[in-house]
Amino acid sequence: MPGIELIVSVSSPRELDGTELAPFDSVCLGNPYCRRVEGNYAEQLPLLPGAVSSLREAGKKVYVTSPAAPRGRDLPQVERLIEAASRAGAQALEVHNMGVLRILREKGNPLAAHMGAYANVYTHLGAKVMRDYGAVRVRPNAEVSLREMEIIAREAEIEVEVLAHGKIPLGVTDRCSLLTEAEDADPNCPSACRKDHWLTSRDPALRSGSPPGKGEIREGGWVLKTVGKGILSGRDMCMLEHLPGLLSAGFSVFRIEGLYESAAYRSEIGGVYREALELAASGRTYGVRREWAETVRRHAHVGLCNGYHFGKTGRLYIGSVLQKGNSVL
Amino acid sequence: MAELLASGGTPEMVRAVLDNGADAVYVGAKGWSRRRAQYEMDDDQVLVSAEYARSLGKILRVAFNTLPASREIPLLLAKVEKFTSAGIRDFILTDVGAMRELSLRFPGIRIHASVGCTIINSDDAWFYKDAGATRIVAECRMGREEMRRIREEVGVGLEVLVHATTCYTLLGRCTMSSYTRQESRVDAEGKNHFLGSPNRGGLCYRVCLAEWNQVGENGETEAERLILPNQAYFLVDDIPALIDLGVDTIKIQGREYSVPLVGRMVRFYRALIDAYMEDRSSFRIDPWKEQMAGIVSARDGERREKTKGLISESLGA
Repeated sequence: MPGIELIVSVSSPRELDGTELAPFDSVCLGNPYCRRVEGNYAEQLPLLPGAVSSLREAGKKVYVTSPAAPRGRDLPQVERLIEAASRAGAQALEVHNMGVLRILREKGNPLAAHMGAYANVYTHLGAKVMRDYGAVRVRPNAEVSLREMEIIAREAEIEVEVLAHGKIPLGVTDRCSLLTEAEDADPNCPSACRKDHWLTSRDPALRSGSPPGKGEIREGGWVLKTVGKGILSGRDMCMLEHLPGLLSAGFSVFRIEGLYESAAYRSEIGGVYREALELAASGRTYGVRREWAETVRRHAHVGLCNGYHFGKTGRLYIGSVLQKGNSVL
Repeated sequence: MAELLASGGTPEMVRAVLDNGADAVYVGAKGWSRRRAQYEMDDDQVLVSAEYARSLGKILRVAFNTLPASREIPLLLAKVEKFTSAGIRDFILTDVGAMRELSLRFPGIRIHASVGCTIINSDDAWFYKDAGATRIVAECRMGREEMRRIREEVGVGLEVLVHATTCYTLLGRCTMSSYTRQESRVDAEGKNHFLGSPNRGGLCYRVCLAEWNQVGENGETEAERLILPNQAYFLVDDIPALIDLGVDTIKIQGREYSVPLVGRMVRFYRALIDAYMEDRSSFRIDPWKEQMAGIVSARDGERREKTKGLISESLGA
């Protein structure tokens, strides 16, 4: 599909292993939340040359992410990351922090900048400032609607990346909520975030029905996913039934958020979106196929959402095909 | 000498904080600041309050520190034009594009890069300085070494919040509230108040302060009655060090609190700063900490009630 780019994000060799990459045009390596994630490509820099070269040999574009919230003490590592990513042949650095963007420019490194989900791109004027610093692509904040993204792309003359599927990044912190001790003293680090952890609201007013049974994540109230230093949506952003609209609006760069998901999630969701994008771009009659719907529902433990893209509450699902199966709240 | 800046949620609060010793007061332009509309001011109230501040030789700073939509930029420019024409020169902004645009269109204005910019390292500070900020607000957990670097190496003014909240997530990078509820409410001027988004409209439902259970991938309960840390704090011990560091602005947040409580906070910090400035060598902090305990208790009581109300309100979606 010329002109369309489907990206998947993977933190580490553990996440890359077993992920079927055929559906994807590009891979964004590394984890922006925590430097201590085991095998984090953005931290374990010796891993980058091998990973980048093998992906490029496979015909993929390769990007490397950077820390979402680097303190001053983290900046020397950021400088090393920029150098390592550039030397390894990565094609862009995903940037969430303005200080990192400035360092990239000040170093005179030719690596392009892609502004990430935490860069707080809300307006075309903001995107223009970042463009002047070397950004060639922006992923607007989750709260920015598709209509606003169209304006940003047009007025700032910059490529806009759209989250097509996966958990929505809702917050970043520098204190890991999965640990009870300091990071370097807690035996649960870095293994704690390898497993899924969900936050379910307890307030009686937010609950309905009985507590979830074993193996069941039920949204009796608000459900969020915690990854220790980040809060993600409980529900999966899903734009499957809206792909023709996205293409006709001029969007062509789409992300499948693969961080903290299984290889099966990345592979199967990627496969669904590859097929769906091919159909949507073909001009033939588009409809969500039963097997696609089954796949996205099977992987969405808490349900689907896409409200932000339509200027609504983030956890709502706007559409007419896949809304069934979401719980009330 | 560090400027003492305090919140002006209403014209009455503006008078209270200035009369109680603040050097400057900030107010939110309605629909444009990081608080809901009831704690913001319409244009006439802003202008009257600015006149009052000017009559005392003090400063009124207008907050436009939400992140707007692109189509709202002309509204922002028109409002800033109106305020600058009336002599207001001080503004608080978050959107880096709006910051650059205003600094180019209105030479001589002073721009504070808001706490919503999440400035956590010295290169962040450089970036916002380049975009037109004359003063930057340090992220609430920033250490003194980083502050020193910003002050000495970046050469931009530094503002530190001495009464605020350290949200669980980094303030300005959180959308938990709007994920649970967000509404579009466009006012007569065409500004969307984005109810439920603290970044865009100011109203945060504080969902992080609900009680949570943590559940593992097999549905097992890992922790019960979890509270994500979101602490309101007062800095007292740090005030002498902040002054010694050359911090330019010491800010007391609190537009949503009662006027008497905010007035009390201002009196406390005014007296503390003045006492330290008068005699640094023999200054002792302990008596001040005892005084602060009473203010903390009053603040916590007001905050608890507000949080309960906000969480309940978010359920109305």
